[in-house]
Amino acid sequence: MGLAVKARSATPAPEKPSLIRELVDIADYISHVRNEIAALRANELTRDRLPMAHEELDSVVQATNAATNSIMNAAEEILCLPDDRNYRAGVEARMNDIFEACTFQDITGQRIRKVVDALRQLETRLSRFATAVKARDEAGIDPAEMERRMRDELLILNGPQLKGPATPQDAIDALFD
Amino acid sequence: MALDLGMPILVVDDYQTMVRIIRNLLKQLGFEEVDDASDGTAALARLKNRKYGLVISDWNMEPMTGYELLRHVRADENLRTTPFIMVTAESKTENVIAAKKAGVNNYIVKPFNAATLKSKIEAVCGA
Repeated sequence: MGLAVKARSATPAPEKPSLIRELVDIADYISHVRNEIAALRANELTRDRLPMAHEELDSVVQATNAATNSIMNAAEEILCLPDDRNYRAGVEARMNDIFEACTFQDITGQRIRKVVDALRQLETRLSRFATAVKARDEAGIDPAEMERRMRDELLILNGPQLKGPATPQDAIDALFD
Repeated sequence: MALDLGMPILVVDDYQTMVRIIRNLLKQLGFEEVDDASDGTAALARLKNRKYGLVISDWNMEPMTGYELLRHVRADENLRTTPFIMVTAESKTENVIAAKKAGVNNYIVKPFNAATLKSKIEAVCGA
């Protein structure tokens, strides 16, 4: 019996320290992930930053619409001015309206910069989080995105090109000559 | 052959400012009879109620795009000869070729100017 006890204590259970090490590693990882989730500040993003970006972009759309309408109104009024001695004064008054309408760009530029900053911050945080948790994207494409892509492909919706038209008007004209 | 300035023209674009710009350019060219529609579906409804001398359409609209509208027009026995100009920011060669195959009469890339619009209308309707 004494031998048996001796034999048991002489053979250490190798799993135990390894299991403890693994549990410690898991606890460390969970703690690390919790820190990374906290650093993501998801609540701040969904409560403040993203709604702010929506509001700013809505304001930009409204401001550009208002400015475009003012400019179009002034231009249409100029086209309808009677050709008399008041013509120049009439044109000048409308030109001032156009200059005034163009001031929208200063404000919309600032609004867009705020949105760009918010997106950049979101990108930085998501990228840091993805690296920290070694995130991998789910295989395949999101069904909604797939549907959108299929529609775009079927209806040849490429959208405007970033650096001007992909095919210049002259080249298009050549196809119709 | 001179342009028929009395012919009704249908402008199809979902962006109201663009409709307004094209309307003003057409007015300067002497066209007074201009209607508009905000997508292909609304345009088809208009085309079935009035005979237009020209359709000027954008490509990227919802629910029905200008490309689909063009194919509907060319497939319709009563509409198939209606002159059709595409005015769009879709500037890839594949778009132009697809539109040409579908029967578009001319193709203008946005942004464009009055002279371009005039020359295309003359090429399509004045020849």
